[in-house]
Amino acid sequence: MRGRPLLYLSYGQDMALLNTPAKRWWTLGLVLVAVLLPFMLEDDLLVVLATAFVASIGAIGLNLVTGYAGQVSLGHAFFLAIGAYTAAALSGDPDSTRLIGFGITSLPIWLLAAGLVAGLAGLIVAPLAARLRGLYLAIVTLGLVFIGEHLFKHWRDLTGGVGVGRPAAVPELFGLQFAVDGAIFTKAQKLYLLMFVLLVIFGVLARNLVRSRIGRALAAVRDRDLAAEVIGVDVTRYKMIAFAVSSFYAGVAGALLYVMIGFVEPGSFNLAMSVQYIAMILVGGVATISGSIMGAVFITLLPRVTRELPAVLPFISSSSTAGGITIFQVETILYGLLIIGFLIFEPRGLFGIWVRIRTYWKSWPFSH
Amino acid sequence: MSTATIATRVRDRAIATPNVIALREKDMGLWQQVSWSQYWYTAELVGHALLALGIEPGDRVAIHSENRREWLYTDVGSVSVRAVTVGLYPTNPAAEVAYLLRHSGTRVLIAEDQEQVDKALAVAGELPDLERIVFVEPRGIRHRYDDPRLLAWPDFLALGNEHREAHPEAVQDRMAGAGPDDVATLVYTSGTTGPPKGVMLTVANVDYAIRELVEQGGFTSPPPSHKDCVLSYLPLCHVAERVFSCWFGAGAGVTVHFAESIETVTTNLYEVQPTVLFGVPRIWEKITAGVQIRVGSATWLKRKIGGYWLRRADWIGETLAANGGKHTPASRLVYAVGYVLCYRALMDRTGLRKVRYAASGAAPIAPEVLRFLMGLGLPMHEVYGMTENSAVATANRPGRVKVGTVGEPHEGSELRIDETTGEILTRHPGTFAGYWHDPEATARMIDPDGWLHTGDVGEWVDGTHLRITDRMKDLIITAGGKNVAPSELENALKASPYIKEAVVIGDRRKYLTALIGIEPDTVGHWAQVHRLPYSTYHDLSSKPEVIALVQGVVDEVNARFAAAEQVKRFRMLPKLLDHEDGELTATMKVKRSAVSDTFAELVESMYQGGTR
Repeated sequence: MRGRPLLYLSYGQDMALLNTPAKRWWTLGLVLVAVLLPFMLEDDLLVVLATAFVASIGAIGLNLVTGYAGQVSLGHAFFLAIGAYTAAALSGDPDSTRLIGFGITSLPIWLLAAGLVAGLAGLIVAPLAARLRGLYLAIVTLGLVFIGEHLFKHWRDLTGGVGVGRPAAVPELFGLQFAVDGAIFTKAQKLYLLMFVLLVIFGVLARNLVRSRIGRALAAVRDRDLAAEVIGVDVTRYKMIAFAVSSFYAGVAGALLYVMIGFVEPGSFNLAMSVQYIAMILVGGVATISGSIMGAVFITLLPRVTRELPAVLPFISSSSTAGGITIFQVETILYGLLIIGFLIFEPRGLFGIWVRIRTYWKSWPFSH
Repeated sequence: MSTATIATRVRDRAIATPNVIALREKDMGLWQQVSWSQYWYTAELVGHALLALGIEPGDRVAIHSENRREWLYTDVGSVSVRAVTVGLYPTNPAAEVAYLLRHSGTRVLIAEDQEQVDKALAVAGELPDLERIVFVEPRGIRHRYDDPRLLAWPDFLALGNEHREAHPEAVQDRMAGAGPDDVATLVYTSGTTGPPKGVMLTVANVDYAIRELVEQGGFTSPPPSHKDCVLSYLPLCHVAERVFSCWFGAGAGVTVHFAESIETVTTNLYEVQPTVLFGVPRIWEKITAGVQIRVGSATWLKRKIGGYWLRRADWIGETLAANGGKHTPASRLVYAVGYVLCYRALMDRTGLRKVRYAASGAAPIAPEVLRFLMGLGLPMHEVYGMTENSAVATANRPGRVKVGTVGEPHEGSELRIDETTGEILTRHPGTFAGYWHDPEATARMIDPDGWLHTGDVGEWVDGTHLRITDRMKDLIITAGGKNVAPSELENALKASPYIKEAVVIGDRRKYLTALIGIEPDTVGHWAQVHRLPYSTYHDLSSKPEVIALVQGVVDEVNARFAAAEQVKRFRMLPKLLDHEDGELTATMKVKRSAVSDTFAELVESMYQGGTR
């Protein structure tokens, strides 16, 4: 009711995504800023942000299975790879003698296909999750990464092989090419806007999923699978749904991730990438969609910051030959420190910090 | 043209504005809405059901329930068939239920749930007139109780439906016969002395009260309308809550929201954000204490900023009180800054931001509490009235507030102070028809000239406003011959957030003493902050540190009174006063005699040994 936002007359009103005026205004403001950014920032930063948006989609996927459903997965890199190669193969040059290609450059088609193939792979892995949990599941999903690494290194027709690679998917929508500079927009601006729109779409979809019956079932499985089963949640089914949806998101993210640089290298889908995504959701906030986005943006922007470090701290060098500690090592150390720090001091991640700030002002002038 | 009753008023609203919302009640987390047409439909159905049960004009229908939709349906429904509504307090123990039902000769009882049904069944043997007990909540009753008098609410309505099909005009015909002298409701006064007395309010009384208080804006300015909403949380059987929920609704179309229970009032206030709010002093004291404690326990920055603005609120309140409730340029400026930094959020969080008219009544309130709330931006008005005059006596009018007084007499009503006794007398069409089955007591209340003797002692302030000194019976005359009004001292003590109850004693004694009960929430919090471990209420209130805390409050209050009016000694009450133990009335007023009897030893201990 007008002026009385807490006087709920229907459950729909209670469950609404933007149930308070404050949330509506904040969301509108954020969207406006995000849309105006490409006209204010340098192109190279836009590319980083676009990558961050794509990583966000991937992080949302991991958060669905690990954060919401509580199934630890170290195999995220594997599903990202499946998505990346499905998209690259579909939109690849059909006349190439070296690589598989089907010449379907339409973005919706290869994006959906990438997601579906990855989702299917997730579905195949899911029965394992139904039987295992915790550390055992982590080890099994870790195995996926190694199988994947081996497969992609040696399937040269698909991946181009180590050190060579293959061109990434070609983003084209209704004849509009995104990966080339246009008359009005540059390539970076176009890609930024495209990724932003896709992030909004997949973000809202995920948000709707987790506040539905499925989302509640996943949370029940996470909190105690036995208790969930007792209250009538089909644990196996929901674990499969979690893996399938999560892998779908990973596939979509994988397909888009290399569009910015235009090149996929099979060696990049390793354990480090999986850990990076784990870091994103831990830093951002476990079991939150906005937290996944915050974490992904944070982790993706981190290298940009560390690259500036040698100028400030002379003992850090920018190349491995100069001796001392390199920026890449600093980055790795930072990941570790961040994960440890957040787990100890703010287990709810950046989202938790945000909630704390919000509560502080919401409860003004009281504390509770 | 037939007489206007609350039933005709609800019916007319149902015809004029059928789809406007009349009532809201929270159920399964959602506020369920009832439009005026649904309201009247159900109330008429209740009327038919009562006809089907053979209710004749003048028969009594009792309601024993918390505030809920069914309460109003029954009230309006029984008035529509010219029956008399009798309200019972949900806290009434079985013995009192027996007394009230027997004394009123109730034929049909609407009981809320198993708890209330059990009370009635426990004493059913003593109630020959009671024919039917309708229960609203079936949980625990259905399939387990087989008393032939029990009837479930849906079956009760089905009975009404059958009757409506057979005689569609029956309720309307009965309504048309209503006259101004029909008794509309029996309101049992809580009775701080002796058993409760049933006040007969006639259709004409209620009609006068609605016209005076609601339609002509005897309280609010501008008068209430369908844009206003109220929260109904005090017992509906009390005349004050009946005015603000039932009569404001029927008379002015105000949307009534039912609180889930008295414990959830704070949450419900936050959700509903009412525009008109009535409270008894206890509620306002609790809100004041709540605000102070919550600001005091906030984090550092909030505590500093909040604390600063609460002190400013005291000052703003004083300025407002000195100007009849109107701002001076300086106070308006200070309030505007404070509004942005603190008051807006604070009032929003407490659910008081949209309140355009707040009233305190039913018992005297400490001026400090009024001033503080006024300073926060709540337009507080102390009002005065009693069941016997249909709650029409005096009210502070917006813009002409005098803190410490109960305001000016309503226009068109007569009020004077007896020259010899100082007793307040009122005379107007709202004066009750008499006590039920008690002509003697009636004769004591109404003199041959039609003046109602209120039993309150008062005096004029500036010739326009009335100040109540105390209840006549409560006035203390000390052994030194000094007249003391205990309520003034008691309210000054209760203005402290740490003190819940204070009973001043000293009639025919050398000096004044007090029994003091602490507020467990705030003192408990205080003990926690001061790392003082405690187990029970008794343990907490007997801690030397707590006694020292109370001593500090007593000293502070004493400093404002003359030597003969100071509390020389006090003792802590070893338990929370309770309705069930007979120490409080159903309206949570202290029964002085019961308290001084129960704690006679404590009282005596204060008068032993030398005086200080």
